[in-house]
Amino acid sequence: MPAAFWQGLWTGLITHPLFAVALTLVAFQISLVVYRRTRWLLLQPVMVSTALVVAVLLASGIDYARFRAEAAPIALLLGPATVALAVPLYRNLGRIRQLFWPILVTLVVGGSLTVILTLLIAHLLGAELPVLVSMAPKSATMPIAMLVAEQWGGTASLAAVMVMITGVAGTAMGPWLYRLAGVHSPAARGLGYGINAHAVGTVRALEEGDECGAFAALGMSLMGILIAVVLPLGLALWLR
Amino acid sequence: MLKGLTFLVLLQLCGSLISQTLLPMLPGPIIGLLLLLGWLLVRGEIGEPLTQAANGLLQYLPLLLVVPAAGILVSGEQLLGDLGAILAALLLSLLVTVPLCGWLMQAMIRRIDRARDER
Repeated sequence: MPAAFWQGLWTGLITHPLFAVALTLVAFQISLVVYRRTRWLLLQPVMVSTALVVAVLLASGIDYARFRAEAAPIALLLGPATVALAVPLYRNLGRIRQLFWPILVTLVVGGSLTVILTLLIAHLLGAELPVLVSMAPKSATMPIAMLVAEQWGGTASLAAVMVMITGVAGTAMGPWLYRLAGVHSPAARGLGYGINAHAVGTVRALEEGDECGAFAALGMSLMGILIAVVLPLGLALWLR
Repeated sequence: MLKGLTFLVLLQLCGSLISQTLLPMLPGPIIGLLLLLGWLLVRGEIGEPLTQAANGLLQYLPLLLVVPAAGILVSGEQLLGDLGAILAALLLSLLVTVPLCGWLMQAMIRRIDRARDER
């Protein structure tokens, strides 16, 4: 076959309107196989798929804006999926009501501490203000974090990266840290996953069981509300 | 499945409208989540179509997150500039707060359970 034929085939492939959707789906299938074979928590499907997608985009010269627009049908379902988190939340409401005060205390103590520690360490190591503002909402879900960062002079896509690193790292280190600290209660593990590692942590928590997943969804939603409502007030006082 | 999905989409739309008009600090999907929770509380049961739609979507949550996650392509330079400080801050804070949250919650759960057993 002449080189021009292969060139044409390649161009036809990467300019097809379905290319971005196909790429995302195939990358995800590959990462699922890898994750199931190895069961290695560092190889979170989200992270492996993202790495595969980024590699192909770089190799084919497609920019992120185009990929984002063409893969929109997949990302579009993120909204309804967030709404659907109310279902496991409702299913475990009895247990949650029973533990109202522990949940509130853990959320306020742990949630504030993770934000304060992150900002303090980054500040001491010389990170600039726009980076700090993009880091502050890192424990929230992506839409909230991007919103808060943009409102206060950070960068939305940088905030999304912080959210992703936090989610993947928190989820990968979670089981190990829990074993060290002797945390076995599914409710406690779930809440910790949700507060610290949002949606990625919730996915891992759902794998551990329904109760764990419900508390993770709860931790994630409450942390999102805390960051969306309380963090802007804190930033307003600090940046005044 | 489709009935449940329709309901979820409508709730997200309601949430987005509320977000645009009344509560700009909370994004539409989170308001939708709270609306659905309120609706389930009033109704007292989940129902088959909603269960199917929710299970179907939540099963593929990691797939849905891949698209925004690939945004790392755009902010790579800013990230690399402060990479050391960023990674240290993100990872060290996790090392402290993940076990702290789990331990604190578990300690309080055990106290409540013990108090109930003694009663």
